[in-house]
Amino acid sequence: MGYLNGVTVTVDAILTKKGRELLARNDGSFQITQFALSDDEIDYTLYNPNHPSGSAFYGEAIQAMPVLEAFPNDNEIMKYKLITLPRGTAAIPALNVGYQTITLKQGASISITPQTLNYLGATSTFEQDGYIATIGDVRVTSNFTGVGINTAEATQLNGTVTVGTNVSKTVIGTTINITATTVNTLFGTNTQLQTNLVIEGRDSGARVTIPVTITKQS
Amino acid sequence: MSFVQLASTDIVVSADTITAPAWSTGNSVLSGVTYTSGSGGTTTYLVASGSNSTTTEFSMTYGNINGYGSVLYNILVSGLSPTRTIYGQYRNLVYGTETQNFNFGGLNTSSVDIHVINVNRNAYKQQLYAPTFNLTLTSGSATVRLTNDSTTTSTVTYLDCGRAFNIVSGSNGAGVINSVSTAAGQPAGWTASGSYGLFLPDVGLIVLNSRALAMPAVSGGILLSVGQSTNTDNNNSAALGNAIASGNYFQLNSEETVSSDYIFVRAGNAQFNYTTNPSAISGSTGTLTFPTMINNPQTFPTTVGLYNANNELIAVAKLSQPFVKDFTKEALFRVKLNF
Repeated sequence: MGYLNGVTVTVDAILTKKGRELLARNDGSFQITQFALSDDEIDYTLYNPNHPSGSAFYGEAIQAMPVLEAFPNDNEIMKYKLITLPRGTAAIPALNVGYQTITLKQGASISITPQTLNYLGATSTFEQDGYIATIGDVRVTSNFTGVGINTAEATQLNGTVTVGTNVSKTVIGTTINITATTVNTLFGTNTQLQTNLVIEGRDSGARVTIPVTITKQS
Repeated sequence: MSFVQLASTDIVVSADTITAPAWSTGNSVLSGVTYTSGSGGTTTYLVASGSNSTTTEFSMTYGNINGYGSVLYNILVSGLSPTRTIYGQYRNLVYGTETQNFNFGGLNTSSVDIHVINVNRNAYKQQLYAPTFNLTLTSGSATVRLTNDSTTTSTVTYLDCGRAFNIVSGSNGAGVINSVSTAAGQPAGWTASGSYGLFLPDVGLIVLNSRALAMPAVSGGILLSVGQSTNTDNNNSAALGNAIASGNYFQLNSEETVSSDYIFVRAGNAQFNYTTNPSAISGSTGTLTFPTMINNPQTFPTTVGLYNANNELIAVAKLSQPFVKDFTKEALFRVKLNF
């Protein structure tokens, strides 16, 4: 008779760049209350439902993949979250924000109102809890706020800025307002500033990443 | 849908004590010690490093209650010199009072002078690990091997700076009774002038009994040259530095308590069976690439993200290999976050 394997998988965590910022902020925001799982580096085209050895081996090539260490940059990890949906779901929720890329002149503004496709049986819907938007480098904007969600956490996120650094900023809302910076010194000798905008449905987990470019005017 | 709330019982705080070599070389034993003057060229204290390294491992200084052994700050004010400042500084730190001179026991219960080894904070981390302390001092032909009595003492003494162990001749936290170093009627490894000093692990200090070290070898000392001239720099710190360099053996470990959060992450059988990974979805419509995944989805989580209530990613952990998750499997991951 063999022994039952009662092993719990133990993994070591590292603080992200955002985690260190929140720790330094000392305002109570450094408090772990929830978790999510992701499969960022998995290439599902390796999944083989025609494997000659049967269903236990469909994911053989994926399971053999050596996993990379965690990245501390919170914008570059946990990108593709696993989500909980009813069995039989044929289409995964996806975000439609109306833009593939965003290019703004200095001082120009844009409002983004995302919609979620394939969610709760609807072809297209606005999520009740709104959307989380994260700009990779908060310095490139003079205004980055979310509107339409009036919870305490949404209000807090809108009002919080860590100055002087290229840290990210996260806001919550049904509409995201962005105004490009008017500060010339950020450009140096360049004519453009670039960063990413990540928008994620708070209910669905659907996610989209949009490149953002700010162009210098003078 | 992608976030799961943690219950209060899912997070456990644990503290583990870790010991490690104190020195920057990664070795417990420091050899080839060299020293130089302190910040700004001062000789009030000297900084020491090991061979082939410029990293300061510890500092050395000398204190005298009468201000002997160094130049007066002002010739018109007798007794006030750097050595007097040092004595007062460490007396206050160790005993927390200006009325108690250093007490090494034996015939030296109110010592007029001290030598101090001040281990760098980076080296000792939170505290010194007492049982590993071994220091060889050599002056001329005399050598004494010092340790502390941490493994033999039955009652730990606490001073104003925390735990205090006596420094004795011996090794690995135990004094040795022998005809040379142990004076009659004294505990193992003591001299007639009391112990060789105080080992203060909680503040990273080693206070040496200058009177014991100044005794001849037949009495347990090394005949350390400790000048007590008025208004003269006797370089007493350098004398200790030379003795450490000649002894060429300084063993010390650090000790720190690492607090960790253990977070138990549970993925139920009905959770996390679909992915937003673009390689599993065709186009922008969200349709699954493989029809078999509609009723029998499989995901391969590699990463656990820990979030605050604002959905900000605080910490992240990676699994050693992809975990197969479907409607027939549950997962329990224990995530350890060190502080």
